[in-house]
Amino acid sequence: MMKLLDISKKYGEITHKYPFEPYKVSDNFRGKPAYIFDLCIGCAACGIACPSNAITVQFNDDKSKLVWEFDCGRCIFCGRCDEVCPTGAIKLSEEFELAVKFDKSALIQRGELDTQYCTTCNKPFSAKRLVKYSFECLSKANVSEKRLEEAKNYLCMCPTCKKTATVATFTSGKEMVIE
Amino acid sequence: MKCDKFIEALGTRVKILEVTRQCEDQVTALVELNDLPEAVRFLYYDMGGYLTTMIPNDERSINKHYALYYAISMEGGKMFEGDEIAQDEKCFVTVKVLISPDSLTYPSVTPLVPACVWYEREAYDMFGLIAEGLPDKRRLVLSDDWPDNLFPLRKDAMDYRYRPDMKDHYMEPEYDFLKPEGSGIIDVPLGPLHITADEPGHFRLFCDGDTIIDADYRLFYQHRGMEKLAENRMNYDQMGYLAERVCGICGYAHAIACIEAAEKAINLEIPARAQAIRVICSEIERLHSHLLNIGLACEVTGNYNAFMHIFRIREYSMKLAELVTGGRKTYGNVVMGGLRRDITGVEIKESLRILQIIETQVDEVWDAVMDDKRQMSRWKGVGILDKQVARDFSPVGPNIRGSGIKRDTRYDHPYDFFKQIQFDVAVVEGGDVFAREMVRYMELKSSVSIIRQCFELMPQTAIIVDPTFHVKPENYALAYVEAPRGDNVHWIMQGSAQKVFRWRCRAATYNNWPSLRFQFRGNNLADAALIVCSLDPCYSCTERVTVVDIKSKKSKILTNADLKNFARTQKDSPLKDLR
Ligand code: SF4
Ligand code: SF4
Repeated sequence: MMKLLDISKKYGEITHKYPFEPYKVSDNFRGKPAYIFDLCIGCAACGIACPSNAITVQFNDDKSKLVWEFDCGRCIFCGRCDEVCPTGAIKLSEEFELAVKFDKSALIQRGELDTQYCTTCNKPFSAKRLVKYSFECLSKANVSEKRLEEAKNYLCMCPTCKKTATVATFTSGKEMVIE
Repeated sequence: MKCDKFIEALGTRVKILEVTRQCEDQVTALVELNDLPEAVRFLYYDMGGYLTTMIPNDERSINKHYALYYAISMEGGKMFEGDEIAQDEKCFVTVKVLISPDSLTYPSVTPLVPACVWYEREAYDMFGLIAEGLPDKRRLVLSDDWPDNLFPLRKDAMDYRYRPDMKDHYMEPEYDFLKPEGSGIIDVPLGPLHITADEPGHFRLFCDGDTIIDADYRLFYQHRGMEKLAENRMNYDQMGYLAERVCGICGYAHAIACIEAAEKAINLEIPARAQAIRVICSEIERLHSHLLNIGLACEVTGNYNAFMHIFRIREYSMKLAELVTGGRKTYGNVVMGGLRRDITGVEIKESLRILQIIETQVDEVWDAVMDDKRQMSRWKGVGILDKQVARDFSPVGPNIRGSGIKRDTRYDHPYDFFKQIQFDVAVVEGGDVFAREMVRYMELKSSVSIIRQCFELMPQTAIIVDPTFHVKPENYALAYVEAPRGDNVHWIMQGSAQKVFRWRCRAATYNNWPSLRFQFRGNNLADAALIVCSLDPCYSCTERVTVVDIKSKKSKILTNADLKNFARTQKDSPLKDLR
């Protein structure tokens, strides 16, 4: 018994004044994923990687927006989204105080991206930013002017029209040989 | 090859229909249904096996039958010095039988090998397979108002989201607790819910005065149907995270066991660095878990001072986990083929510093606890697990090592990086609470040394293999990890399209429960909570207790405070006005 008291004396006070003073977490702590809307291109890579379906990327009802939605109540802080995001729009933060009072909708975070409509059939199929991002990537790769122009057309088509168009160019013999 | 010797010996006893090898140290022998009890008994007692797990499986879509797999760890009986199989011959032998869907019956192994009792009860609950001759045929997993004839793990039974209607509580069938005969016996129910416990469990203690003469218990109030969920809608990437949530303390061991079962089924070798980090994280888990348990074993007996100190030290182990994995409790770094997070040099340096603190301070506090005569008298001679009972029921972890049996998966079947690591298995004779806590203390020390060795030996390789592996339908394998409470064993049979066909997850405590009854017998009611605690099933704190005197039909409700107080002070028995 006395020995334990000696130990108490030796180590003194060890508790933190939390929550009245901040609690410092380690670097690389896996806290709540922080979302930077301006960087998000709506590629849905995070939604596919997320094991607990905390992130969904879907069109809204009238398909005018592609909606990125994160439900913190489902998140298990695994960091898969952080790993796969091509633009760094989602990163695990140091935030761990996640409780909400009564209002569960406070756990949900949304980002609405403009829809890209197909230039041929007008069907909504992607986000404008994703098309733009893909084009920028292609521009940085060493592709000729002509190919780039062609790619731009293709990027703005929905998968079905893209297929039809490719078949059409092939059969009409217009397809160029790739330099 | 490993295992051949045992198969050959088994062949002299029963007719073996087919032998298949899953990996280097795992083989399966298919035997005739009637030979099942003898085959398991022979391997268990004559050849020195312990029951690792038993997996019932609905294989009607594969071979028109149900199947049972009794996985036995061949390691020697370990009842006396030298009663052990040579290190390079230890392996797993699985006895498999096929059961026709028309009869659904098989001969029970339990009368010959008591360790099978829970597994065979569960096989009925989940698959409707009837063990002929099983002495205890009550439900184990499903609730009492679950519909008869609905066997959830059969492939065609139900959608995984289906929830049968609950019966009103007065309509709910009564569970048939075992009751000892005799006059003056008082039935003390503990649970099913206690606010301060992580898990609900309903214990019935039958007392004569303050002495427990027998006990029965009903668990699985928290059965979550994870196996069904995973079979239906999860891929391997998701399963690891689900497995990590099986347990709130040793979840990481479940995550590795689950993923390693999938890896073993396709013989996927992961990089050495990933192996080392898996070992490091699982040992960190052991540090925090053992500190928790030793702390609680002090708390249950009223020694708050020691409890607080141990929890103060435990905080360092939580910090350590946060440092190397980014999370205090869920480490979330296991993926099939390796890991998704490396440990940096800076982190290693800081970890070594924290380990040093843990090592010194654990010694200081342990020394003080050992010095406390009152504490020792509460731990010593209480809740004894007899060596023979241990042999019969295949318990695991500190529970069996405290009874002088040297069973440790890290030593018997070294997995991952353990092949390169030196450590002593902590074995203590006595079988009482003290022995189990002593084992935990010794393991704290060895865990610190294991983590240090890993840091030292860990090579600079990649941490994940190229993810171009393909799962092979119908391949299966066992994987085992020595969690703080004993080995967590997962068995996976792979299905098509990156899904599992069957996932059997057996947590360590599953093997420890059946023998608890014997540990209770002859002890004082005041020690009940301590005995349960020393198994480390997740601490048992008794919230509300009804006491019924069978003879006088008098009853009394005890509050948590009443019983806790009695557990601490051992004075003023709450039962005295009933007598
Ligand atoms: S951290 Fe994991 S669970 Fe949470 S949103 Fe990202 S991928 Fe999903
Ligand atoms: S850009 Fe990043 S955050 Fe946005 S949808 Fe793609 S992966 Fe998700």
